[in-house]
Amino acid sequence: MGTTTPPRTLAEALRARGDTSLAGLLRARPDLLSPVPNDITQLATRAGTRASVVRALEHLDRFALQTAQALAVAPDPAPYATLLALLTGDGQDDGEGRDDTGAAITAALPGALATLREQALVWGEDEALHLVRTARELLAPSPQHPSPTGLGPTVAEATAGMSPGRLQEILAAAGLPPTHDPVSAVASLTELFTDRTRMAALLDTAPVEALAVLDRLVWGPPYGEVTANPAPPVRWLRDRGLLLPVSTRTVVLPREAALHLRAGRAHRVPEPVAPTVTAAAERDPQAVDRAAAGQAFTALSTIEELLKLWNNGGPAILRAGGLSVRELKRTANALDVSEPIAAFWVELAYAAGLLAPDGEADERYAATPAYDDWLELPAQDRWTRLASSWLAATRTAGLVGGQDAKGRALSALGPDLDRSAAPEVRRRVLALFAALPAGTAPDPQSLLTRLRWERPLRTPAPGASPASGEADLRSRIALWTVNEAELLGVTGRGALSSQARALLDEAPREAAARLAPLIPEPLDHVLLQADLTAVAPGPLERPLAETLSVLADVESKGGATVYRFTPGSVRRALDAGQAASDLHAFLATHSRTPVPQPLSYLIDDVARRHGHLRIGAASAYVRCDDEAVLNEILADKRSAALRLRRLAPTVLASQTDPASLLDGLREMGYAPAAESAEGDVLITRAGARRTPPRTPPTPVPEGPPVPDSTLLSAAVRAIRAGDTAARAVRVGTGSTQDGPDPASAGELPRTTPAETLATVQAAAMTGSAVWIGYVNADGAASQRVIAPVKVEGGFVTAYDHTADEVRTYPLHRITGVAELADDPSD
Amino acid sequence: MTGPLIVQSDKTLLLEVDHDQAEACRRAIAPFAELERAPEHIHTYRVTPLGLWNARAAGHDAEQVVDALVEYSRYPVPHALLVDIAETMARYGRLTLSKHPVHGLVLTSNDRPVLEEILRSKKVQPLVGARIDADTVAVHPSERGQIKQTLLKLGWPAEDLAGYVDGEAHPIELDQDGWSLRPYQKQAVEGFWHGGSGVVVLPCGAGKTLVGAGAMAEAKATTLILVTNTVSARQWKHELVKRTSLTEDEIGEYSGTRKEIRPVTIATYQVLTTRRKGVYPHLELFDSRDWGLVVYDEVHLLPAPVFKFTADLQARRRLGLTATLVREDGRESDVFSLIGPKRFDAPWKEIEAQGYIAPADCVEVRVNLTDSERLAYATAETEEKYRFCATTATKRKVTEALVRKHKGEQTLVIGQYIDQLDELGEHLDAPVIKGETSNAQREKLFEAFRQGEISVLVVSKVANFSIDLPEATVAIQVSGTFGSRQEEAQRLGRVLRPKADGHEARFYSVVARDTVDQDFAAHRQRFLAEQGYAYRIVDADELLAEPDPES
Repeated sequence: MGTTTPPRTLAEALRARGDTSLAGLLRARPDLLSPVPNDITQLATRAGTRASVVRALEHLDRFALQTAQALAVAPDPAPYATLLALLTGDGQDDGEGRDDTGAAITAALPGALATLREQALVWGEDEALHLVRTARELLAPSPQHPSPTGLGPTVAEATAGMSPGRLQEILAAAGLPPTHDPVSAVASLTELFTDRTRMAALLDTAPVEALAVLDRLVWGPPYGEVTANPAPPVRWLRDRGLLLPVSTRTVVLPREAALHLRAGRAHRVPEPVAPTVTAAAERDPQAVDRAAAGQAFTALSTIEELLKLWNNGGPAILRAGGLSVRELKRTANALDVSEPIAAFWVELAYAAGLLAPDGEADERYAATPAYDDWLELPAQDRWTRLASSWLAATRTAGLVGGQDAKGRALSALGPDLDRSAAPEVRRRVLALFAALPAGTAPDPQSLLTRLRWERPLRTPAPGASPASGEADLRSRIALWTVNEAELLGVTGRGALSSQARALLDEAPREAAARLAPLIPEPLDHVLLQADLTAVAPGPLERPLAETLSVLADVESKGGATVYRFTPGSVRRALDAGQAASDLHAFLATHSRTPVPQPLSYLIDDVARRHGHLRIGAASAYVRCDDEAVLNEILADKRSAALRLRRLAPTVLASQTDPASLLDGLREMGYAPAAESAEGDVLITRAGARRTPPRTPPTPVPEGPPVPDSTLLSAAVRAIRAGDTAARAVRVGTGSTQDGPDPASAGELPRTTPAETLATVQAAAMTGSAVWIGYVNADGAASQRVIAPVKVEGGFVTAYDHTADEVRTYPLHRITGVAELADDPSD
Repeated sequence: MTGPLIVQSDKTLLLEVDHDQAEACRRAIAPFAELERAPEHIHTYRVTPLGLWNARAAGHDAEQVVDALVEYSRYPVPHALLVDIAETMARYGRLTLSKHPVHGLVLTSNDRPVLEEILRSKKVQPLVGARIDADTVAVHPSERGQIKQTLLKLGWPAEDLAGYVDGEAHPIELDQDGWSLRPYQKQAVEGFWHGGSGVVVLPCGAGKTLVGAGAMAEAKATTLILVTNTVSARQWKHELVKRTSLTEDEIGEYSGTRKEIRPVTIATYQVLTTRRKGVYPHLELFDSRDWGLVVYDEVHLLPAPVFKFTADLQARRRLGLTATLVREDGRESDVFSLIGPKRFDAPWKEIEAQGYIAPADCVEVRVNLTDSERLAYATAETEEKYRFCATTATKRKVTEALVRKHKGEQTLVIGQYIDQLDELGEHLDAPVIKGETSNAQREKLFEAFRQGEISVLVVSKVANFSIDLPEATVAIQVSGTFGSRQEEAQRLGRVLRPKADGHEARFYSVVARDTVDQDFAAHRQRFLAEQGYAYRIVDADELLAEPDPES
């Protein structure tokens, strides 16, 4: 690139980069690839979009970020030397002796810059480094987004909009010659602030209190509140432009002045070197591998135990998905672990595809067919399957028991447990483990510090969110990873095991091969003891373990298993179809030592009584004191259909019901008698069957019932009245002028309230009937013929011909009234 | 992967006895783990907070415990368990009880939040006095035992640095003429003396009295000995006169009949717990002298009132002696917190292997009830069921057959129900010792038995403990106190004195088949089975069918 002219734009800079370098950019910022840009210009444009830049910045480590922040406060473009000076300071001793840091920065800066260049956040030659504009906007200090550098705006930015007169006053106060325009005034002031010697001289004249004010603002935040009539020191500073007004009540320390006070440094504490992960303990690598293998084996048996537990119908699924708190507690009890750990195992089995909802109507969790395949694998392969699933899983069991943003409880196996950062953090944590020498257990706090340095924007320091006190998600995932790795046997006694190292290197076969010799061989024997216990001094071969777990109760688990024989457990084995002799043979084969006499005796004693009582179901029985008759019946072929079985010399049981049995035997020529539950002979006639008290059925006639005369006359009257109302010829009201008769058209009469009142009052006086339209309380309209009796208080009391009774109608419900042509009565 | 130890997730440790390193491992884990079961192949130890704290008190630290586990474990020890052990042990010593020149007994903490936590507990508040400074609070001297017990329950055991009073000095020497303390007795005495106070667990017949005497010879101070009954008190006195420099006059008996207070006083639990008009008139015994040592014989029988007095005796050295520290009331931990932790424990089989107790053949004889008995049993009231099946007539026949079989051997027939015992005595033509038998008569009969003048003795539960009958070789138990494990062990203990000709002792337990008797028997045998005594089971029919040796 040395011979070419310096690039003028990011696109040009990108164009000048080699293919590998471009590939590097795309690897680091994969979001630029979707969709694949058409050309470099498009790539450069996209690399400059806000979302993409934010994402890229979030992936920077602390020093690269600090470098970018320094560039953001430097002039654009900035030469390398300026950038370096911003990070190291300009060599003036500020009393905090930082030579080591200075050297480290000088060593680390090219690397950080290379990272920024690779990520297309910075472009240009060393003489003219450009920070991508979007990044500059994001990182440069502004009142809305205070910069982590703690620097304020430049003099030029802070004085924008200030009156020229005021500027000249400042120049005068600062001892500068007046200029003819604001631009040169600002330039003159900037020059003063950036000139170390003149600035020092100016500050020497400052009152002590003014220096104290500056001290408070120098490392940020650079803004200060002032009263309308500030104290003399503040006024002194304001007069000289060392504090510039932002609003009526706020002043800011301009960037140039702050940099002078900071001896040119953009950051108070530059962190050029990643904090090292310190060792909490050094352990023998072989002991670590063994411990991890032991834990791996425990993990396998725990998963097996869990799914065995759910063999016959696992827990029901909550409507919102997941396990209820109670089910989780039950599972935790059964596994003899705490609930968070139970949640981990359940989630692990789920992530590994070993358990899933069964999809039935009443949905439950159950093992998948993949679980059966998994069971067939050798232990080491089972472990690598589990561990690989864990590494890749986005589901985070650590969240279980907490609440989501809306305050809903997060349940194991439930929704919303996916955290996309989990696999990356998990891998990163383990990579940090792996970076330590074998057998070294890292200190978790130092791990967190390191993670924070690596992704400062993603992992705010604990102090950043003061009140909550809760660690950020990445740190929490990191801590969970440390715990889960131990549970799973990825680490042993806090240090990474060699089998896990192989797994991290994407070599599962190698991992399995390393794990295999460390996993205890399944044993084919147990030790039987006279206190009726059996001790399996290690894992047992599966068939042996299964038989034994039926024959005896598990008393204690761990590296070994202690079984206890009880009458109940022996009975269970007998119920499962084993004979006493099988059990004796089984114990003799698998015991290293002679079978203790009490144990043999126990088995015989239980077997002696086992099945002594037999239970079965029969629909009917035949009994007869004469055994010969029963022999005869059984010998008869016709009795086959009756499904008879001889229970005792004088008793036959049958699967047919008593009536059929009676009939069947009668057909065969016998004269059986039925027997009651108490053993009495049932006499058919005497005991004729009766129902409990019953009422006769009500007849269901065709059509409705015939009405009685009262009903009929009422009906007729109603019909008649309605008819009268419909056919009534009304006299001389406005509503019936021309047109069709409203009644015949089914309409209600309509009159104004005044007319209605007058007509009704007239009718009450004359005692004549009128025809009204009426709307009842339900809003249903009807026509009625009434003979008003009195009208008062807004009500008319009348004899209603339609209903055949005296009723009261509110006047306002009457839509209208019409006089009848003739009397409705016949 | 060859260690002898397997660490289980429930914090039990399984020790394979036949392993080469088994002994070394046993020594390494003994300080902090409690031997729970010792059957023939695999011994079970349990790691408890109490055990870990006792280990801390004895000067072991968590690192040693973890090392012992890691070194001998066959499989990797779960990391979580190691962490838990370290955390548990770290709880010890945050609080200390000590003597303050001005304020007397004080409780001090080097971890202020712990002190705040425990002071907020309602159980601690009445036991402490004024707050002296931020880290110190005064404790009334009489509450020393109570506060230790309470703090233990709260999970913050206090380290007791307040020490012991020496008591009134009195010269006592062991008179080892023609005998000497056995090695395990010496270890037990040393273990106790270094610990200050505590419990020594030795099998029946292994010479616990001599451990007591040894402790007295170390203390060289006036001693109060608490025993279960008068016969036992006399035996103690006899033994002390024989084995130590003490003379008859220096030893007093404080019982129902005599009330002597001498430099060494032997009192019975019964007289101490006698209550008249709501007060315990004999309690002043504890204060009657400046005792330098208090010995509790058969500490597993410690009656509840004595627990309370003991709590007030924390400044005196206390030695508890027992064979079977199992209490069906589950108050073992109270014994430990009030008398002191277990200082020495020897598995029965180990002492047997050394020849200090006789090997024993334990046999459970299963008796079939007759058909009519079965019917009667099935219809018996629930509370009468045990009595019914335990005293069934068939048992008598079997017992007679057993006595006949062991004719010429000194035989004890032990039972619970007086009617049954009287009947047996009648059929066997043997004297019966029961509660109403006077002490003089008892001693006369015991002496006659020792001398071989009578060969069969029928005894009730009065002979469960502390009766020294070295010549008894056969014990036949016909009924017992339901499922009491320690009773079974104590009864076996009656025949465990080593025999002159070294032949083994016999212990028969006659049990009615298919009844609650059988269930209780299974529970009773548990302690001994866990100590490695394998019960053979035989059918009574076989036994009865055996030809009579006479005929």
